Amino acid sequence: MMMNTGKDTMDTRNTLRWRLAPAWSLLSLLLIVVAVTELNNMFGSSMQSQMQFALVNLIIVVALQIFVGNSGVLSFGHIAFVSVGAWTVGLLTLDPALKQSLLSGLYPFLSTASAPWLVAVFIGGVVGLVLALVVAPILMRLNGLQAGIATFALLGVVNQVLTYWSGIGPQSGQSMAGLPTDLNLQETMLFALATIVFAWLIQRSRPARLLRAAREDGVAAPASGINVVTQRVIIFAISGFVAGIAGGLFALTNGVVSANLFFVDFTFLTLAMLVLGGAFSLFGAVVGALVFSLINVLLTNLENGLTVGSTTLTIPNGSRTIVLGLVLVLMLMYKPRGLTGGRELAWPLRKQPPPGTIVTND
Amino acid sequence: MNQLIQSLLDAISQGAILGLAALAIGLVFGVIRLANFAMAEIITGAGYALVLTWQWGWYVAIPTAIVAAVLLSLLMEILVFSHLRKGGPATLLIASFGLSFLIQQVYSVVFGNDVRTAPVASNLAQTWDIGSLRVQSLSIVSIVLTAIMLAILLWFLRKTSLGLQLQAAAMDFTTARLIGIPAKRVIAVSFAVSGILAAAVAFVLTVQSGAVGPTFGVNITVLALVGAVIGGIDKLVGSLVGGFLVGFATSMLSTWLPQDVSNFRDAFVFVLVIIVLAFKPAGLFIQGRGVVRT
Repeated sequence: MMMNTGKDTMDTRNTLRWRLAPAWSLLSLLLIVVAVTELNNMFGSSMQSQMQFALVNLIIVVALQIFVGNSGVLSFGHIAFVSVGAWTVGLLTLDPALKQSLLSGLYPFLSTASAPWLVAVFIGGVVGLVLALVVAPILMRLNGLQAGIATFALLGVVNQVLTYWSGIGPQSGQSMAGLPTDLNLQETMLFALATIVFAWLIQRSRPARLLRAAREDGVAAPASGINVVTQRVIIFAISGFVAGIAGGLFALTNGVVSANLFFVDFTFLTLAMLVLGGAFSLFGAVVGALVFSLINVLLTNLENGLTVGSTTLTIPNGSRTIVLGLVLVLMLMYKPRGLTGGRELAWPLRKQPPPGTIVTND
Repeated sequence: MNQLIQSLLDAISQGAILGLAALAIGLVFGVIRLANFAMAEIITGAGYALVLTWQWGWYVAIPTAIVAAVLLSLLMEILVFSHLRKGGPATLLIASFGLSFLIQQVYSVVFGNDVRTAPVASNLAQTWDIGSLRVQSLSIVSIVLTAIMLAILLWFLRKTSLGLQLQAAAMDFTTARLIGIPAKRVIAVSFAVSGILAAAVAFVLTVQSGAVGPTFGVNITVLALVGAVIGGIDKLVGSLVGGFLVGFATSMLSTWLPQDVSNFRDAFVFVLVIIVLAFKPAGLFIQGRGVVRT
């Protein structure tokens, strides 16, 4: 910055910039989410439910980003936390009479338990947190491929338990249907906004900073006294909490919960969203989830036949998922850091340092 | 006693097939650090080839299946993975995950969601009574087929120049390139060989079920991948034995677990996997803690 200004002004400018930049990186994300939701409202009520699913997916992707983004470790297992959250909310909000007949094998304390949906969602988050805390001391020692496989194994275990254990759910392979779908789009949006603020605060917390240091240099960070495993456990647990909440919201949005919803397909979907946007920034998670959902909705409508003026456009069934798969693969091939390049949104009209530049705060 | 021998035989044959599948994954991983989840679609593709061409005789169907598997495998490398060299194993795993999903959808559009059936080598799927022992002839066939494939592979790796180059590349790719081993050729060979192994796996699975759908190869690939990683995906022996152990354990658990918990068989296997990874992250058959190449 070779400008012809005095040193004092430079300093104040920089300080101001350094104060405002993070605030802007949060505010802009909130604005994007509100804008997209409001924009969607203009299309009338037909798109409401799709938007609500998009926002729930956004929360899941942000949960994933809290862990993957900060630690740089891959997780194929976050849908396990989503599923226990959804399960909890399903068990706690299902109409008691319905519960008696649908879930006959339930443990007594579960068959009588019930809670208002907001409380149930919170408990779902706590269950996600506890599950994450239990498995974290083992999983968090692993890196790269091993971490991927171990988290996938966790998903496999949780999925089988939810599928077959009738003490905590329906008979094997069946679903919990008839959940209350009181949650409206406005409330879902508030949850999404709160999640983003929470993730932003986490990102600026000490454990997350230490983890990002370890992510960038796996040798130097431990050598400087960072206990990487401990920091990972903390962030993993927080991420599990958010994923559990998201699972609860999913249950209330979908109205039906069954174990086979929460397996490889859902994992693929959410990971694809994260990779599309860029795993290393919160901005990436938000953009990825929204853009992916947009493509998804567009293609779904095209499959059902979209009328533009006098012509109806149709694409063959199944091409939706093909395009989504293609998007992920092409993204990894040509822009592996995602649409955002893994960076937060910076104040517009200001030149960005080129990628790879080390920005120091002095 | 008889039941024990029978279950052992089943477990060994299941392990053999999973070992082959895991070897197919490990072979490619050793060279370009790709744990190819889309191996599932190579197996499925070979399965479709077998089922759809079986009416013209095995001498048409089997070569078609092998060619289809090798082509699919090479195409994946040329169209996708060769553009991803810079990513680490985790990125490559996600990419192969996405590719797997993509090809599955293509299959279901092209061949439909319903399974395609044909009595592929149905005379192999009989039961023989030897004394009081009931033996699935397919178990013997899988064991023999695996043994033959391993023998050929061993000969190829030890006695041919291409095989030696492949081994060198699997041991240390950078050094192998430095001493003049043609990288592209070695990579192509590893994909081709892994395609052939996948075709063998597809053959056994198709004889077993006679029906192929879009997700035909997914289950075995998940288990094979898991097996390869816990055995030590960096070493060919590690992948092979890891795959074998997972297959063996799965089969034994489904025979011997009491009825009311046998539903949780895969959960037990996955718990074992997590435990193994916790203590031996580099793999069971890698000496010491090993260097986890990430």
